[in-house]
Amino acid sequence: MLPSGKRLDRATALFISLLAVGFLVATFDVRASGDSATTVLRGGVQELAEPIQGGIDFLVRPVVGFVDGVSNVAGLRDQNERLEAEVQRLEARLRETAALERRVAELEAISDLAPPEGLATVTARIYSGGTSTFDQVRFINKGSSDGVIAGQAVIDESGLVGRVDLVTGSSARVRLITDPLVSVGVRIQDTNQTGAVTGRGDDVLQLDMFDATAPATEGAVLITDGSRFPPGVVVGFIRETREANVGFALRTTVDPAAAFSELDFVKIVVGWSPLDADPESGDPLIEPPPSIDPGVDIR
Amino acid sequence: MNSSKIIIALGIVLAAVLIQTTVFQHIQPFGYAPALGLLAAIATSRYLKPEPALFVAFSGGFLQDVLGGSPLGLWACTFTVIAFVTLKIRDREIAGPLAVLAGVFGLTFLGQLTYAVLATLFGQGIIGRPGLIWDLLVPSLYNVILAYPVFWLTKSAVRPKERAWVA
Repeated sequence: MLPSGKRLDRATALFISLLAVGFLVATFDVRASGDSATTVLRGGVQELAEPIQGGIDFLVRPVVGFVDGVSNVAGLRDQNERLEAEVQRLEARLRETAALERRVAELEAISDLAPPEGLATVTARIYSGGTSTFDQVRFINKGSSDGVIAGQAVIDESGLVGRVDLVTGSSARVRLITDPLVSVGVRIQDTNQTGAVTGRGDDVLQLDMFDATAPATEGAVLITDGSRFPPGVVVGFIRETREANVGFALRTTVDPAAAFSELDFVKIVVGWSPLDADPESGDPLIEPPPSIDPGVDIR
Repeated sequence: MNSSKIIIALGIVLAAVLIQTTVFQHIQPFGYAPALGLLAAIATSRYLKPEPALFVAFSGGFLQDVLGGSPLGLWACTFTVIAFVTLKIRDREIAGPLAVLAGVFGLTFLGQLTYAVLATLFGQGIIGRPGLIWDLLVPSLYNVILAYPVFWLTKSAVRPKERAWVA
């Protein structure tokens, strides 16, 4: 009997029981780590669902591509004009950066820095997304049998996408860098200042720099610092300029380099793991450069 | 109600969750997808008896948890709450298309809000996200658009008695 005197009906009792079970499972899942029962359950169900999801994805993808193509015809002319202007601008910029690239190549040779492109990668296709608007995850069709392990970085041609956080034999879950649970150690390419980029759950990232001495300027490129992800991978571009004030953290927003709504194929960097990071410097793959005579022009 | 109806209803919710993770990964008008699994849970709760409705909703939510990135059990609790609310309001003497639309919108919004609160309590940091209100509103609007086909399909498959607030 309830305190009110009303008899608890069966549906209400079942409702309360199911809620209790749900809360218990959630608590257990949050507190569990490693190969817990919930991880095994997730892996098993995902292995079962992967062929079904892959089949649906296979059927839907061409239809969606066709519809997208038809709907985009109207905007193609405007887009073409914009692209022509963009090409001219980029050609001018390319000429400027050519000299800079030569200098970077020589610097890399001096410091024996392996560029991210040199790392072993596995190409995977995204076959499923998250189950709701709140989910910042993608599922890929490569798993432990392809050398994928939890913690590895996932990139595409534009930059950093996320990291693998759950692996089965033939599939894996990628948590995007837009997820608030993911934090990426970064440095601003121009100034070499370091900070941390965190997801906000939308298409914009947040950059925090606690000991910045130079401003973060709009458009500046952020690359991974090598503490949790392979060094030198483009993460995004600063949206708003912020000045560095002594004693205050510098906080600004960042546009991610990767277009998460258009992800199709990605690469998992299997040739590097956070364990490769140098615990002293937190800067893997980058050996301390040999001392350079400041009077020598490396150009 | 025999067990085959319950299995069919369960199949509808599970199929909805699978479609959510595949089809609506590609089709996202304005960057948002409908909450199809939640809509299927509302539809089956409309037509099933209370205990099977709660069981089907919990199972569908659990699959959504397993195939998603959040802690297990959160969507299961959410679907169960929405199924329970649907059971409580389905026999009210409200009729007409507007009641259907308002009911689906309100229940979807409530479901997403319930999930956001639960997920935040379990460390997922959803409440306080920029643009959260759009994450709640837009999928609810999409569900309104999809409500009739999903309700029709569920009604055809489960063959329920007529209810007041649904055509």
